[in-house]
Amino acid sequence: MDVVTQAVTFVFQWQNLAALIAGTIYGIIIGVLPGLGPSAGMALALPLVLKWHPATALIFMGSLYKCSNYGGSITAILVNTPGDASNAATILDGYPMCEKGKGGVALAISATAAMVGGTIGMICLIFSAPFLAEFALRFGPAEYFLTALLALSIIAAVVQGATIKGLISAGLGLMLSTVGFDVVTGHLRYTFGWSPIEDGIPLIQALVGLFAVTQSLVLAESAESISRIGKLAGGFWEGVMTYFKYPYAIIRAATIGLFIGILPAVGQSSAGLLAWAEAKRESKHPETFGNGEPEGVISSETSTNACMPGDLVCTIALGIPGSVGAAIFLGVMIIFGVIPGPLVFKEKGDVIYSLFVALVLTSFILFLVGITVARHFALVTLLPNEIIVPVILVVSLLGSFAIRNLMADVFISLVFGILGYIMLKGGFTPVPLLLGMVLGEMVETNYHRALMISGGSYSIFYSSIISKILIFLTFLSLAGPYLGPVWKKLTQGEK
Amino acid sequence: MFKNLSKSLAFLSVVGVSLLLACPSANSVDFPKKPIKLIACAAAGGGEDTEARGIAPYVEKYLGVNVMIENQPGAGGKIAFEKFQRTKPDGYNLITYTFPKSIIIEYMGKTNYKTRDFTPIFAWSRSNQLLVVHADTWKTFDEFLKAAKAKTLAGGLSGRGSTTHLAGLVAVDELGIKVNWVPYEGAAGSTAALAGKHLDFTICLATSALSLIQAGKLRPLLMFSDKRDPYFPDVPIPKDLGFDVTPIPAIRGVEAPPNTPPSIVKVLEEAFSKAVKEPAFIDWADKRKMVLHPLSAKEFSKIVVDTYPKVEQFKEMFKE
Repeated sequence: MDVVTQAVTFVFQWQNLAALIAGTIYGIIIGVLPGLGPSAGMALALPLVLKWHPATALIFMGSLYKCSNYGGSITAILVNTPGDASNAATILDGYPMCEKGKGGVALAISATAAMVGGTIGMICLIFSAPFLAEFALRFGPAEYFLTALLALSIIAAVVQGATIKGLISAGLGLMLSTVGFDVVTGHLRYTFGWSPIEDGIPLIQALVGLFAVTQSLVLAESAESISRIGKLAGGFWEGVMTYFKYPYAIIRAATIGLFIGILPAVGQSSAGLLAWAEAKRESKHPETFGNGEPEGVISSETSTNACMPGDLVCTIALGIPGSVGAAIFLGVMIIFGVIPGPLVFKEKGDVIYSLFVALVLTSFILFLVGITVARHFALVTLLPNEIIVPVILVVSLLGSFAIRNLMADVFISLVFGILGYIMLKGGFTPVPLLLGMVLGEMVETNYHRALMISGGSYSIFYSSIISKILIFLTFLSLAGPYLGPVWKKLTQGEK
Repeated sequence: MFKNLSKSLAFLSVVGVSLLLACPSANSVDFPKKPIKLIACAAAGGGEDTEARGIAPYVEKYLGVNVMIENQPGAGGKIAFEKFQRTKPDGYNLITYTFPKSIIIEYMGKTNYKTRDFTPIFAWSRSNQLLVVHADTWKTFDEFLKAAKAKTLAGGLSGRGSTTHLAGLVAVDELGIKVNWVPYEGAAGSTAALAGKHLDFTICLATSALSLIQAGKLRPLLMFSDKRDPYFPDVPIPKDLGFDVTPIPAIRGVEAPPNTPPSIVKVLEEAFSKAVKEPAFIDWADKRKMVLHPLSAKEFSKIVVDTYPKVEQFKEMFKE
């Protein structure tokens, strides 16, 4: 307890508090700019903080890392442009809320989710990091394969109502995920000698196309402003109140986000999507999802914000980075002489606990920034389309270019923009496509790896207890829509 | 909060402007006269990028102009290499990456560049590949070797066609064992899988396994180097155990486009070689556990030439 008290006192020293607030705001700005994610943000800020006290520098970097996600959701909600791949799911309901004039409400939900999801994640990180890290290590290729399969089975729920079109979209996503260098066999697939896609189809560039470019095309042909009603409806506090009306959705989303975060080999981008899809599946009115359902924003945002502390679990407890952002943060920690691992809690306990306290505090500061500054951002949804459309197009394509300094990426975004437009007009939802693109490689490479380890024996897929549980859950997920009515009949019969 | 925001922005801009002003003005020699672009074949924050950003301020000090880092990740650097092959050799465009990655890429598919055409300037660091096993398994390399000869073990790699893969292939060839290679994307995946006992061993850059070794999860058995690594002084090298394994280290350095005039190379080489002797840079490198190993343009060129036949020998094995 002594360590924690010391950490709290330390964080509240003026220079640390200043670093924390600066990191929060810098993080939000980095997040708002498309193409600049937490990784680039931290790399660019590193020279500035090199001479600082290690704990102060880590507080700055930590709050920057934590808050860039919120910046990304601001643009995702308001202008349909994800700041980073992890914000993709927020678009699905956040932007339609804006169209109804509820941009301010959606931003409030997102800020509240950052506070609540982040705090839940941090509490788990602080109290059970070593235990959770041990759990994550039990996931080998076979378990990762089964996890991805379970996640893919959620597509079945997402496509309900338009099954054929949904499956076409999912199939397209899975096919696109095979493009590029096959990490296991070393072969290049479907690149046609074009090197920009040798790493696979770049995700953020594709997202910029599917959402920002597509939406610009739609806006250019229709409404007068993003908000169809021409004014803002509902205030910030309405958003905060709405958020707490869904306690079950919050807990479910935080659990999914934390789980995805803890597993080092699962990308952050899937956390929001999976929480969103799961919320839709369990909802009594799934048709409202994707049409401005607040629960959709609540789920995806809570999940991504709980995912970030989850990423830090293995990073801090074992030195295995949980994501690209976490890898950079790990590098920063090492530069400041904090070598992650089980010993770090003893050797550098003061620094680590200060960082933890700061990360909890930054969630609340983020919320304060949200209520004071971000709500005014919602006004952009009232701008006339002839002004906002060129701005969205230029800024999002610039972001697409900036990630790799590559003109070809702008081309990729434009192609996906046209694809998105065709899909939209044809009544296809992009969610299964995204899930396919995000999960396809995970399914394939881990299947391959598992068989390489077992020497071709399929028993590796069901030998461990975790595998058996995952197989059971996948079966339940697939059979759920059919078992549900039967179950209802049985229970009603008993009455 | 508005007040805080504007204050922070003001602070950031003041810092930005002072950084710009702090850069020394151009010196009297005709090269360099304008800022130099250093292309890092990695995303911001990646290993190559971090080292480039670490050394740049000290190079600036000796060149008297700004050194700007431009990130060109993608296809392991192939996109950047192909562009670089056609870049004007005026010394204002330089590239940094982990050698011999570029040569491996040449043997994995068609490329529109040749590493041997590039003009080596200087190399500052090397990373050694390390063979690690789970701490509950073999205690010494001899025990490991005996087990590896008895049955085919599963070995983790940080990537097919990575410098680690090459090191692994060379080692396996000279030790006379067979291995089921399981490629991952980066050392995080392969070390985590080993710590969870899903693999028998892993080869990775020494720094990638540091935390897990300190945590007592993994045990280092062999360092592929011709001399002991200062950060792992207790880990034997092949020579100590009586094996003749030619190590292929991963080298970080800087190169200029093909046909860069020697006069320009000399200016750049001098600046980089002075930069790595700066105490502040040495201190920074030590914190990152970087093994500083300066190579002159001449030494670097020789390594480029020597590495080609080694990679060619294993070219069939990069693909399955």
